[in-house]
Amino acid sequence: MTRFALHPLAPRILAGAALAAAVLAGPAVAQQTRMPTLELVKQRGQVICGANVGLPGFSVPDQQGNWTGMDVDYCRAIAAAIFNDPSKARFIPTSSVNRFTSLQSGEIDILPRNVTWTSSRDSSLGFNFAPINYYDGQGFMVRKSAGAKSAKDLSGATICVNQGSTSELNLADYFRTNNMQLKVVSFPSGEESVKAYEGGRCDSFTTDMSGLYAERLKMANVADHVILPEIISKEPLAPAVRHGDDQWYDIVKWVHFAMITAEEFGVTKANVDEQLKSTNPDVRRLLGVEGKHGEALGLGNDWGYRIIKHIGNYGESFHRNVGAGSRLQITRGVNELWTKGGLQYAPPIR
Amino acid sequence: MGMMGRTLAAAALAAAVIAGVAAAPAAAQGGGTLAKVKQRGMVACGINMSLAGFAFPLGNGRWSGMNIDYCRALAAAVFDDPDKVSFVPVSIADMLDKLKAGDFDVLVRNVTWTSSREVESAVSFGPVNFFDGQGFMVKNARRALSARNLTNVPVCVTGGSTTELNLKDYFRVNALQARFVVLPDWEQTTSAYASGKCDAITTDVSGLHALRATFDAPDEHTILPQVISKEPLAPVVRQGDDQWLQIIRWTHYAMVTAEDLGISRATLDEQMKSANPEVRRILGLEGKQGEILGLTNEWARRIIRHVGNYGDSFERNLGRASPLRFNRGLNALWSQGGLQYAPPFR
Repeated sequence: MTRFALHPLAPRILAGAALAAAVLAGPAVAQQTRMPTLELVKQRGQVICGANVGLPGFSVPDQQGNWTGMDVDYCRAIAAAIFNDPSKARFIPTSSVNRFTSLQSGEIDILPRNVTWTSSRDSSLGFNFAPINYYDGQGFMVRKSAGAKSAKDLSGATICVNQGSTSELNLADYFRTNNMQLKVVSFPSGEESVKAYEGGRCDSFTTDMSGLYAERLKMANVADHVILPEIISKEPLAPAVRHGDDQWYDIVKWVHFAMITAEEFGVTKANVDEQLKSTNPDVRRLLGVEGKHGEALGLGNDWGYRIIKHIGNYGESFHRNVGAGSRLQITRGVNELWTKGGLQYAPPIR
Repeated sequence: MGMMGRTLAAAALAAAVIAGVAAAPAAAQGGGTLAKVKQRGMVACGINMSLAGFAFPLGNGRWSGMNIDYCRALAAAVFDDPDKVSFVPVSIADMLDKLKAGDFDVLVRNVTWTSSREVESAVSFGPVNFFDGQGFMVKNARRALSARNLTNVPVCVTGGSTTELNLKDYFRVNALQARFVVLPDWEQTTSAYASGKCDAITTDVSGLHALRATFDAPDEHTILPQVISKEPLAPVVRQGDDQWLQIIRWTHYAMVTAEDLGISRATLDEQMKSANPEVRRILGLEGKQGEILGLTNEWARRIIRHVGNYGDSFERNLGRASPLRFNRGLNALWSQGGLQYAPPFR
């Protein structure tokens, strides 16, 4: 299994190995007498986040060591909420192998690292998963010249996929369920699968949507390839925190919800100061003009204002890192707000 | 399960440390809910006093509704017997106090998940099992076609609820003249509306449908199109017991996933032969997820056998097979335009 470990687009493959490691280590090890995470973070003056070693759009350092991406923004938003300073976030690169132990041992405070929230991870690692900040799922890339408009057009097509991955299982299930004829060519690594597709060995390449968009960027001629609209599996990506610290779990949850709420009510990085004068009670509570929602979390009441001032709302972060304002050009799709046909929804701040 | 025991002890400890003012009693109660449930031989659910489609008394201690199904699903998962539930009707006013005092194991009574409830009351919310939103019902004689027409119309509302706050916010934002008639509980709110003390009544759209179905002449009342709030309804548990929270969470997700995978009461036997790995995992034919949760590996299979999937429960209690005739709307599966989504069984 370890041969998959270096492929950043298939983070879930190693679940079994990490799980076994977790069971051996005992998830409770680190939790006994630990100080509440918020207190620890305040004392240290920094939030420490586990980061992906390099997944453009989500978490990637540049040559000067500046990190960018949606997961990086999430971490900086937490720093902004606590310190009113988004730079008070430190990123520790973690691999698919050590990311869970790194959180269990307390080396990091939170793991926002495109980890798929699954039933086995939720129940065995000693973690709680926070809200889904990116709904990912398996899709298909094809050559534009093939003229396919939907995954349903792929019957009889040759598909390149990573051997032994969940993607391979999902692929077989999807074709069987839809009574389509499948020709699979599988490779031991994602890189080899992509190369085979680009070289014309297959009509299509399949992995998670986020991965398809990232791989498309590397193609010799980006415009020759299209990504079909269907998502055939659920890969809900969500940050994880340790069990036993409900205050910290609440903070992580509500930071995401604040960014969604801001988008819903039209509060942006650019207009947040203007919005302080809003008479809309939802906006006033979000920005801390009314209510004591921050204090209850152990933060200042202007926590929501700080997040939007420094980072912006969810839509802004999406646009800048993975969407139309980025090289990836990922469409909002299922990550659109619930009011616009997507799944992003936040419980009310009130 | 020694490992789990340590985890819970740690959880309780951490909860006690961070509890601060509000949560001290909760921490004392927290932890070990599953063990208590098993010892007692019953799951105790805090439920609505009476709300058609969600929790409605049938007499002789029997109840029906979506919330009732959810409690029965928990009992099925733990005991393989959906009748091992005791129902404790509670009012909004003291539901959280009673939860924290340990009067029941889970509160399933159309409680809106809000920041202040979750954070200040030191409780944890499970997944949203019904996406609702506040609306208005008016007597047709009033000829109001929109909530914007409610200026100076007497509106009955239950005091101390988020419903009352939303109502005030909505009138303030839209500069409407308020004439609110505030009642201490839902029963008195509905009788005030029925007896003519007010011409409009406000609560979640689900509650309005439920109420209308109880009237002799339901056609004389109109539910206005505006939905003025997000009301994500979710089960509530005490903080500090991550194991129980997981059982609460995955019971709902099992019902949603079963619908997603086409596993219903009717198809369960057939699906036991499935080669689909996710079907096999949810039915406990592969993996040990049930054991890790503190249950048996066939926990989700039991839920489907005794109660059915999420769609089964919705249709039976609220949808086409019920007098309420709700559309699935936001509560359709994510793959069918709704918001009901479960992380994968894997």
